[in-house]
Amino acid sequence: MSLVPQVLRSLKNLPPFPMVAQRTLVLLNKPEVSIQELVEVVKFDPAITANILRISNSAYFGLRREIHSLHQALLLLGTQELLKIIIASGATRLFSAPTPGYFTERQGLWRHSVSCALMVDVLSRELSLPDQATGFTAGLMHDIGKIVLSLFVEQKFHEIMEVVEQQGVSFQAAEKIILGVDHAEMGGEMARMWDFPDRLRLAITYHHLDKPEAYTDDLILLVYLADILCLMFGQDLGSDGLAYTGYPEVLRHFHLRERNLQKVLLQFGSAWDEAQILFGLMGQQDGVQRANRG
Amino acid sequence: MQLVVGVADMKIGNQAEQVIITHALGSCIGVAIYDPHVRVGGLLHYMLPESSLDEEKSRENPFMFADTGIPRLFKECYRLGALKQRMLVKVAGGSQVLGGPEHFNIGRRNYAALRKIFLKNNVLIGKEDVGGTKARTMYLEIATGKVWVKIIGQTQTIIEL
Repeated sequence: MSLVPQVLRSLKNLPPFPMVAQRTLVLLNKPEVSIQELVEVVKFDPAITANILRISNSAYFGLRREIHSLHQALLLLGTQELLKIIIASGATRLFSAPTPGYFTERQGLWRHSVSCALMVDVLSRELSLPDQATGFTAGLMHDIGKIVLSLFVEQKFHEIMEVVEQQGVSFQAAEKIILGVDHAEMGGEMARMWDFPDRLRLAITYHHLDKPEAYTDDLILLVYLADILCLMFGQDLGSDGLAYTGYPEVLRHFHLRERNLQKVLLQFGSAWDEAQILFGLMGQQDGVQRANRG
Repeated sequence: MQLVVGVADMKIGNQAEQVIITHALGSCIGVAIYDPHVRVGGLLHYMLPESSLDEEKSRENPFMFADTGIPRLFKECYRLGALKQRMLVKVAGGSQVLGGPEHFNIGRRNYAALRKIFLKNNVLIGKEDVGGTKARTMYLEIATGKVWVKIIGQTQTIIEL
């Protein structure tokens, strides 16, 4: 029996996308973003401003001097880095509910999402692609479908796993077989409802490369590869483990050999250490919510 | 008392109350060794097969690689009185994503590197749980030398190696 009607009904209760993050996503589409525009977006949200300062001073964003004011952060970090920081601090609320269908740890999905965003950064550097906030954001958002689908995956987990084990298909393909909808499609629907920019929405929808359309944009391939590499790195793995398909053509497309992948994992290890502050953002979730309500 | 081994990390112990644990092995490999005579054990969590990838990094942190981490694991246990010929060796991890074996195969290479080192040095693997698409957490109990592997998932299957 398909759960699709039930799943779609649950989308009706989808909370709004956090406003600051929403307004920042719009800026991703603009070729140039002025500092003034960024200030306008964040200035009424004291919790996010405080987070920006904390994150700016972390080793990952690597400034040599300590930052004390928002304006200083804006000047020294540059707009792309700031967009990443604002979106990451704005999106935490989205990931605050546990997703037991996928992760036994409450913050598992957030941790995996941050890892994937960082991995996109590391991969972009290895591939000498411009280090854009769009890639980081797509990495951060690629699994948002799991937020809603978790409930249904939890109910049918054993059936899904049986399909994975007996048919040797990916966890995503098994979701589709058992539930009638998978977490990537679900994420695409959520991105549509939240008015995400098209490129971001498509990266979410196709991040497992299960449709030909996936190959239309390098951003999608990059997010796919980052996700797979995060699974290999292993920390913050979910119940779905590594049950996703590795496509060698993506490696060929980016001229990546295994040695390059090993180097990326090595660099990711350092990035992961340096960016622990991002993983911890969820911990002060209550503080953020209070500040926003106040 | 729990000692947590991070990624590219190692912990050894000889106190009965210690349990050494490493979380979420993907393509990485966890190696547990234990000398029951002196009750000394250690757990290594390495990421990659060979230190030739980045010699400088391997000097900073030998536990990143099989070929630098495994010898260190044994040496550190020897310092606490363990002997090679008494050592029990158990291995877990080395998972792979789906698809052909010729790509994305760091898990397999990690395992191959370990086998090569053990063959050269006449070390036998007692028990192992490697490969597949599973995510694993690994435990070593110093009092008994027992090793458990927990398969990450809803049912939290725990097997003793």
